[in-house]
Amino acid sequence: MKGFTLWFTGLPCSGKSTLAERVLGILLERGMYAELLDGDEVRQNLGKGLGFSKEDRDTNIRRIGYVCKLLSRNGVAAIAAAISPYRAIREENRNAIEKYVEIYVKAPVEALVERDIKGMYKKAIAGEIKNFTGISDPYEEPENPEILIESDKETVEESTDKIIRTLELMGLVPGAPAESEYSKEEEEKIKARLKDLGYL
Amino acid sequence: MASTFFGRKQKRACVVGLDGVPYSLLRSLMDSGVMPGTAEIVSRGRIEPMTVTLPEISSVSWSTFMTGRNPGEHGIFGFTDLKEEGYGIRFPSFSDLKTPTIWDRLGESGMRSVVVNQPSTYPARPIPGVLVSGFVAIDLARSITPVRYLHELERIGYRIDIDTERCKEAPDALFSELQALLDARRAAVDLLWESERWNLMEIVVTGTDRLHHFMWDAYEDERHPHHGDFLAYYRRVDDLIHHIHEWGERSGVENRFFILSDHGFCGVKREVNVNAILRKAGFLDLPGGVTSLEGITESTKAFALDPARIYLNRESRFSKGSVAEGEAEALLEKLVAVFERLEHEGERVIRRTFTREEAYSGPFAERGPDLLLVPRHGYDLKGRPDAASIFGERRFQGMHTWDDAFFFSLDGSVLGAGTGLNIIDVPAKITGSLGVEI
Repeated sequence: MKGFTLWFTGLPCSGKSTLAERVLGILLERGMYAELLDGDEVRQNLGKGLGFSKEDRDTNIRRIGYVCKLLSRNGVAAIAAAISPYRAIREENRNAIEKYVEIYVKAPVEALVERDIKGMYKKAIAGEIKNFTGISDPYEEPENPEILIESDKETVEESTDKIIRTLELMGLVPGAPAESEYSKEEEEKIKARLKDLGYL
Repeated sequence: MASTFFGRKQKRACVVGLDGVPYSLLRSLMDSGVMPGTAEIVSRGRIEPMTVTLPEISSVSWSTFMTGRNPGEHGIFGFTDLKEEGYGIRFPSFSDLKTPTIWDRLGESGMRSVVVNQPSTYPARPIPGVLVSGFVAIDLARSITPVRYLHELERIGYRIDIDTERCKEAPDALFSELQALLDARRAAVDLLWESERWNLMEIVVTGTDRLHHFMWDAYEDERHPHHGDFLAYYRRVDDLIHHIHEWGERSGVENRFFILSDHGFCGVKREVNVNAILRKAGFLDLPGGVTSLEGITESTKAFALDPARIYLNRESRFSKGSVAEGEAEALLEKLVAVFERLEHEGERVIRRTFTREEAYSGPFAERGPDLLLVPRHGYDLKGRPDAASIFGERRFQGMHTWDDAFFFSLDGSVLGAGTGLNIIDVPAKITGSLGVEI
């Protein structure tokens, strides 16, 4: 399989990292080379010294994009999970990377405030954290993401399935190894027949 | 003898499979005049009762028949099996069969087979000849290879199985369903007999098994409202056997004519829930309300899959495994003792236990259960994970038996002098009659 970049974008606590880790696990299971560049972890390395001004944020996203580009062109599925709030820099990465798939993990701020176990949203609302995306900093929604995840309406499993299925359809990810040669519908019918004869 | 493209004559053989027909029933129906055609054929050859591989269900028995190998080699241990990871259930398909079939082996010698309604061959894959899959086949289009016969079989009204839903709602419908099914099999054989070049013609009648599951009491009880229907169905089966034999005589089959069943059958007294036994004896811990084995806890030592396949919850195999390899043998002994003590109204329930090593050999034996139970006739062992009580009311009239299956060969010498015939011995005798060793 050829490499590609899977770019998760969305507000803090929207579920980007959770989904990115799930997808990473599946890609590795399917025998792909894959690497996760998670926003928080990358900031401590690639983005050391950068703050949260628009310029610093853009630099951080541009650097992650550059690493993704290198990984992708060498056959790796590069997965980035970063808030990446500004549309222009995301488009810059899209244009620089041959196979780029944007996943917008969308959820209303009210739902995220409720979900936020670290209490960061509350601190931001109280003014204790500055430049907090969605509260005191803007987030420019993707206009045409390849995949839209509504994390307040879907389960993690549903969202993961949607991403993997889309990647399969795009020919970027090999299909799951067949546990059985039966379709789900056939499996249900077989189950029913076996039950009818007392085998289940 | 059949002609080939090069003018050389090749041998031909016919096999009729009767799913779930016990030796004792066949003998009784022949002796009482219900199956005169079969009785006449059988009188000219030799019939022997036989045991089958374990567990005694069609998917395993027919896989043994079609390969001549035991489950430790062919890899089919039941209609269900455990997924690679965890305790989830999967449904093995034809592609799970690990060894070549007798049709493949005959094909290596340039021989072709026509196989109609063979259980456990779905989805059908190409064989040297024609294959029409049987139970648990779903989609007719995926049950036929080569697929060019699909249209023809649809035209003659071929069906895979009875409509069990209809039969549950209206039990009287069972007999019309069974008749339609038998007619369809016969029409398929008639179609393929002349249109295909073949050396082995095989047809499996599975309606017999369905009839026994739902109406075994109609056979045993002469006052049963469907006793006459039961016998009438067997007259039709007799007619089919006679028909195929006659075709064979005209087509160079000579004495290479065989009939077999894949397991025996008997009436049900009680259902016996193996997992309930394990739970009450402290080997299985499944929290209340949980209906799947995926919900077992790490304190579980053993669990069962249908019908009586017992797996130790080995640390080396399962994610929640709790049995170290060093304690497996002692645990097995404890389990055997529990099952050997099990009684119902003063009668022992378990006739015999088999360890994995006793039942299986080969590269896939370790994927099989650690222990298998063979019940006494009348005790229908079930593997429902959440069954509350050990003994339950019967839901079906008939149950499979490990013994009392049979094998008939028109050439009696094929059976040899030995006794203790098992289904695993049968395929080599059939291919051997065609000059092919497997």
